[in-house]
Amino acid sequence: MGKTIKFIAKRLAFSVFVLVGLSILIFVIARVMPGNPARMALGARAPEWVVEKLREEMHLNEPLYVQYYYWAKGALHGNFGISLVTRRSVADDIKAFFPASLELALYAGIFMGIIGIVLGTISGWYANTWVDNLVRIISYMGIVTPSFVFAIFFVLIFSYVLEILPTIGRLTPGIVPPPSVTGVITFDALITGRFDVFFDALKHLLLPAISLAMGPLSQEARLTRASLVDNVQKDYIASERSCGIPERTIMFKYLLKPSLIPTITIYGLDFASILGNAFLVELIFNWPGLSRYGMNAMLQKDLNAITAVVLVLGLIFIIANIVVDLTVGYLDPRIGLGTERSSE
Amino acid sequence: MSKSVKILLITLCLIGILSFGAASAAERPFRTNWSWPTYIDPAVGSDFSSSTALVNLYDTLFYPDIKGDPQPHVAESWEVSADGLVWTIHLRQGIKFHDGTELTAEDVKFSMDRLITIGEGYAYLFKVIESTEVLDKYTVVFNLNHPFGPFEAVMYRFYILNKDLVMANIERPGPYGDMGDYGKQYLLTHDAGSGPYMVKEFPLEEYLLMTINTNYWIPIDPNAPDEYKMIGTCEPVTIRTLMSRRELEVADRWQPVEALDALEKINGVKIGEFDSGLSYYYMVNTKKPPTDDIHFRKAMAWALDYKTVLDKIFPGSIQSRGPVNQSIPGADPTIFQYQRDLDKAMAELKQSKYYDQLDKYPVVVAFPSVPADNEKMALLFMSNMADIGIKVETLKVPWASIIEIMASEETSPHVAGVSVAPHYPEAGSLLESRYKSDSVATWEQNEWLLDSKFDAMIEEALKAVNREERFNKYSQIQQYIMDLCPTLFIFDMMAKHPYQAGYIDWPAARGEVIPVMGYNLAARFIKVYPDKRAELLK
Amino acid sequence: MQKKSHTQEELSRRWENIRRNWYKFSRNPLSIAGLVMICIILFFTIFAPFVSPYPESAGKFINFYEASQPPSLAHLCGTDAFGRDILSRIFFGCRYSLIMGATVLLLIVPVGVVLGLIAGYHRGSWLEIVIMRITDIFIAVPPLILALAVCSVLTPSIFNAMLAISIAWWPWYTRLVYGIVSSLKEEFFVKSAEVIGANKMYILFREILLNCISPILTKMSLDMGWIILVGSSLSFVGLGAQPPTPDLGSMVADGSKYIPDQWWISVFPAFAIMLIVLSFNLFGDGIRDTLGVERG
Repeated sequence: MGKTIKFIAKRLAFSVFVLVGLSILIFVIARVMPGNPARMALGARAPEWVVEKLREEMHLNEPLYVQYYYWAKGALHGNFGISLVTRRSVADDIKAFFPASLELALYAGIFMGIIGIVLGTISGWYANTWVDNLVRIISYMGIVTPSFVFAIFFVLIFSYVLEILPTIGRLTPGIVPPPSVTGVITFDALITGRFDVFFDALKHLLLPAISLAMGPLSQEARLTRASLVDNVQKDYIASERSCGIPERTIMFKYLLKPSLIPTITIYGLDFASILGNAFLVELIFNWPGLSRYGMNAMLQKDLNAITAVVLVLGLIFIIANIVVDLTVGYLDPRIGLGTERSSE
Repeated sequence: MSKSVKILLITLCLIGILSFGAASAAERPFRTNWSWPTYIDPAVGSDFSSSTALVNLYDTLFYPDIKGDPQPHVAESWEVSADGLVWTIHLRQGIKFHDGTELTAEDVKFSMDRLITIGEGYAYLFKVIESTEVLDKYTVVFNLNHPFGPFEAVMYRFYILNKDLVMANIERPGPYGDMGDYGKQYLLTHDAGSGPYMVKEFPLEEYLLMTINTNYWIPIDPNAPDEYKMIGTCEPVTIRTLMSRRELEVADRWQPVEALDALEKINGVKIGEFDSGLSYYYMVNTKKPPTDDIHFRKAMAWALDYKTVLDKIFPGSIQSRGPVNQSIPGADPTIFQYQRDLDKAMAELKQSKYYDQLDKYPVVVAFPSVPADNEKMALLFMSNMADIGIKVETLKVPWASIIEIMASEETSPHVAGVSVAPHYPEAGSLLESRYKSDSVATWEQNEWLLDSKFDAMIEEALKAVNREERFNKYSQIQQYIMDLCPTLFIFDMMAKHPYQAGYIDWPAARGEVIPVMGYNLAARFIKVYPDKRAELLK
Repeated sequence: MQKKSHTQEELSRRWENIRRNWYKFSRNPLSIAGLVMICIILFFTIFAPFVSPYPESAGKFINFYEASQPPSLAHLCGTDAFGRDILSRIFFGCRYSLIMGATVLLLIVPVGVVLGLIAGYHRGSWLEIVIMRITDIFIAVPPLILALAVCSVLTPSIFNAMLAISIAWWPWYTRLVYGIVSSLKEEFFVKSAEVIGANKMYILFREILLNCISPILTKMSLDMGWIILVGSSLSFVGLGAQPPTPDLGSMVADGSKYIPDQWWISVFPAFAIMLIVLSFNLFGDGIRDTLGVERG
């Protein structure tokens, strides 16, 4: 346990370093973008003095490191500046949009994890049979199709033709949302006992979550299969078989754990990246999420929003990395947690 | 857990999920969609969605009729002094804001001062106002710094705020001295108006929900919507699904041609077409070789295939007649129109100094990636120019990048394909914002005309308080522009809004079109019939 | 004299290896199918101007009078909204897509893999720390967002899109290799090589790298598709290949507006992408299955 704590502490320390590095990287990219964001935000006809005023407020006329200093100072107090697009504080924007994306990612993650691993395991166990080939082809199709194409197809089939699932938004208009405890509607609904809201929110989550999950789950199925096939050929499996250990035990106790290592690595990172890459799906379902907000920010050169969104997404990635490393360390004790040096 | 229990649970879950149907609180909901963002602060908002919201939430002094002429609204009567510098407005008594307090001259003065101080949104239209005075409780005086003919037209963009409410919600400290933030934070998501609708919910980037003001000072038709929701998405597939499920009443005007065809096939859906004053221009940079040569520009004007544009790319639109959209008061109906004539094009091209080196001077045409049909226009242009030997390169970029590259002379492209509407319903508005020297570096001008004679002409025209005199001057200016050939005038863009003809009555779709942006979606004039909607849903 | 025969022995051993591998590879029909498909795709790609029914459709061609035609004998895949033949555009589009994928991979795989090898082998040293932290910083940005950010700074074009994707993608290879190397380091055959006193470089490249090839190849074959898809997302937003370039990703993105009525505009290019990715994946799987056993 002590080792684990040491590991986490060490990684957290490094994470701070990474976050700072990331903030500098994004800050530079955002500020280096050509154009006059203040002018863009205020419109073509705003008088020059109004534009200048905004530039002053945003310190846009100062050298880069001075701008960074002001930004960092504000950031440490939770103030990420004002968004040029929504005209309110970026921190408020993130508080409003993040839970929506998180909820979407959570449900997509559930689909991804369960369906992906199950498919991959089946495929790998029955390697080179028709079951395996069928699953492989299905997962290729899943990998190759962009999530927005799935989104469009699902909307057309379930919303337009069959009309059994809603098209846009998180809740049906007219339904009173539950009091906002976490911002994640399904949790809030469960906590406050509003089951009608819970089901309504689930209905709205189904299509976007599955659209987002299709690509990653196919990838995981493939990786699990590939890894399982690799490991099945390893010596220790053969020796276990020759010892007479039943196939089932071999599968679940000895094979699955190490085979899942690449899958879990990818799962963690896929989950974190869903948050970032969901913008097209969020666009189609009019989902008020962080990714769509970030995309708009990028297209409209909303500097403060871009920096803040990338940092939030970065933070999540880092956390996902740490969790993945911990899990991998548990699954393959030989790797350990990096705190022991190899005997050289 | 036994198998049967599991099956039971799953079935229950499915029933639960599928059975909670749509619950709509409003009886007569009216929903439109538009692209984001929308600013409901009258001193900040100026684009289409903001204007639409503002028209419904606030009141103005004058209200435009279908000719664009001012009718009394908050202003009961008004006069202008002989020298044109003083406008005296007499307000109607008894108009109440949404919080119940009365609208007085104090509120009018406060609103104008606030607009000019903040300087964003439509403030630039009111540069002419020197000061605002309160004469008595119901009389306001505007002192101008020079006579200004289109004064009344400009006032369609001046919305009256509830002074006490805003003052009570000012955040300090702020960038406006003792006015703090001037209420900008509050007005981001609340309204301080007296208009026929009030803000009910406004989750930014998702939708704006307005509910009817039952105490409005003008009686509203009982069939008008009791709720008006503006939804923030433009995705064709989404819009199509919403329309077919009768969850959207009027869609935006930017749907691609193929989507319109599909939408029309839905029972009860028609495409409402009207000219809203928007025109599509290929703005030609007059300072960059090779387009700095007038013969080169004229050659391009003769080579473009206008007919194919109108037949295939933007069907229903009409060819432009000069710089001003033909539905705008002041447009000259005698202006010449180019037609495709390759012989005349070659003749002009031969007179240009770049004739022998066409390969060395490619023409870059930039256009925004939305709406999608812009790309067809650009490729047609490319093909037409190739017919006379001119090389064209296309640059398809997001809107934000268009604004950026047009902001300086070096980066601005040879041709920019942009659509522009007048800010108020007069030809002068368009001429000024398109060609006057102070609008270079904005997205409304790519010509970089910088012509002092033109500047003088338009300033003179705007000063003329007499309408006939003013409009004559507009005609002369339009002719002057045609002679310079700084732009390819392509088409007056018909607004094509898919709408639920089966259960709503929309005046604009019937031809009662107000030539001011946003006013055609003033919900109090729209009628919604929920029983007909229920019929269609069966 | 001795050297020569030693080399000859080497050569004949390698030839045996290759023949054995080929035999194993060819036993799986799917792997052969993958190889065949790649060859077919390459053929169409290289000879696009000759096999396309309407080669001008790939360039500055428009014909609005034949726009949005469904698949027919004249146009096997129909025409798009500009009147261009979709099948021809697909053939030319394969070029751009393959070049995009190949270029990006050629850029990032050597860099990423080498960094990962070094970092993984020298666990605990400052080398590892520096490399992995820089990798972490780049990985911390969702690749699509980073690509978007870089693209919005530069003028939209296919090359800038490739550059943006490369900048966003390289750290994944480092991470992948690092993970594998860390766990392999403790394996018996590595230890035994160390005990023998083999050169570090030899260990790295001969023993460890050979074992990484399988997951690297798998990832590369998957990435071929991802890269084309990322390009598609960038095009959806308006940053990417400039019209009229026939890039498969752009074709899917542009055509998505016309679903479901003019479904062929999106579906056939999407199908083409799928075929390309499928063939590379099958091929990659075959390689992995073959080389996987040949170890230790």
